[in-house]
Amino acid sequence: MKLFSIFLAVGFLAVLFQTTLLHLLPLGGVVPDLVLVLCVYLGLNHPTVGSVLGAFILGYSVDVFSSPVTGLHAFALSLVFLVVYVSSHWIWVRSPFLSSAVVFFASWIKGTALILLGNLFLARNGLEFAGFLRHIFFDSLAAALLAPIVFFGLSRVKTYLEGSRITF
Amino acid sequence: MIAFLRKNHLLVGSLFSLLCSITLVAALATGRLRLDPAAMFLLDFMRPFQKAAQATVSWVGGFRDRYIALWGLNEENERLRRRLLELEAERGRFLEAEATNARLRALLELKSSLVSSVSATVIGNSASGWFRSITIDKGSQGGVRKGMAVVTPLGVVGQVTAVASQSSKVLLLTDQNSAVDVIDQRSRAQGIVSGSLEDAAVMKYVKRSEDVQVGDRLITSGLDDIYPKGLPVGVVSRLSKKGYGLFQTVEVTLAANPSRIEEVQVISPLNSRND
Repeated sequence: MKLFSIFLAVGFLAVLFQTTLLHLLPLGGVVPDLVLVLCVYLGLNHPTVGSVLGAFILGYSVDVFSSPVTGLHAFALSLVFLVVYVSSHWIWVRSPFLSSAVVFFASWIKGTALILLGNLFLARNGLEFAGFLRHIFFDSLAAALLAPIVFFGLSRVKTYLEGSRITF
Repeated sequence: MIAFLRKNHLLVGSLFSLLCSITLVAALATGRLRLDPAAMFLLDFMRPFQKAAQATVSWVGGFRDRYIALWGLNEENERLRRRLLELEAERGRFLEAEATNARLRALLELKSSLVSSVSATVIGNSASGWFRSITIDKGSQGGVRKGMAVVTPLGVVGQVTAVASQSSKVLLLTDQNSAVDVIDQRSRAQGIVSGSLEDAAVMKYVKRSEDVQVGDRLITSGLDDIYPKGLPVGVVSRLSKKGYGLFQTVEVTLAANPSRIEEVQVISPLNSRND
């Protein structure tokens, strides 16, 4: 329950920062994807039914504040969670480099899912492939650079909660 | 069956989430589901937090502009003085054209297309780099409806796509799912301005034979029943024609820079249908 509350608060702050403060960063339109990093962390370290629901809700929340149709990010982040969870049986993420690599590839999965679902349901007129590759590369790079910091912070919080007697 | 579900509960749960997501997208995209109550609740719930965070963003941005970005002020000042003189001369010509227009309209007894408008402040930006949208602090209680056009004094910004009671989501023109019917103010060539993944705008479906030049101003045509006619959209910045194909590629610099918007007007023509 404690951990669930912490992740709920972190998720809320991630969505709030992604809609406001993170746009201050001069990254040329790229918004560091805290929500994706959180989903990957949940998939690797907390594979529970609550985390499945959390990934869906996080994606849904991102949709409310970005997508023209709700459900696109809910699908993409649920897919990311599933892929990361299945891969966690073969991946042991114990270094910042590995966490960055996993988030980098997870971002590609997310971007591809968004484009495919968008083209299927939003009647777009084709895909600018070069633009797609450029955007997904920088989006993934920004998320990958953020991953070690977020992973470290969440691990610290988890260790602190497990070692203390804080109740909510 | 139950043993299988217990053993693979995460896999089953994830597949169920995927199925729910696709169902939601399909229902909203095809119009079978018109309202999303959870989305409206979330928009209203986040409103006070976004307002507080955006106030911080505005303060930091103002600090940066006032004290840090001082390099090149003299050159920029001189450039702006010259531009001001050009605009004054242009204004004189426009005033004359406006006066002539008014006389001719009176002669032809044309009805004027007045619009009603709601002022709003931007309180949030897109949560994802894959889509371009903003959140404004007015909703259905303030008179905002889904489908209304959003503009600034400089030009068209986008269209309202989701409305809660006290806040709304606006899809920007720079989003790849956005589109506005435009005409070239000089040659009256017609096309559709749409966004792209690279945060830029392009004018599509412009025939190769159409007379479009760099520097041409694009305005709304009014044919889409969303944006009133005559609103500035942007300026043609680059042209390219391949050796084949029916259309030419036209890149557009938008009149209203979406990354610098703080205040907007949500408008609808008085004589249009509102949902």
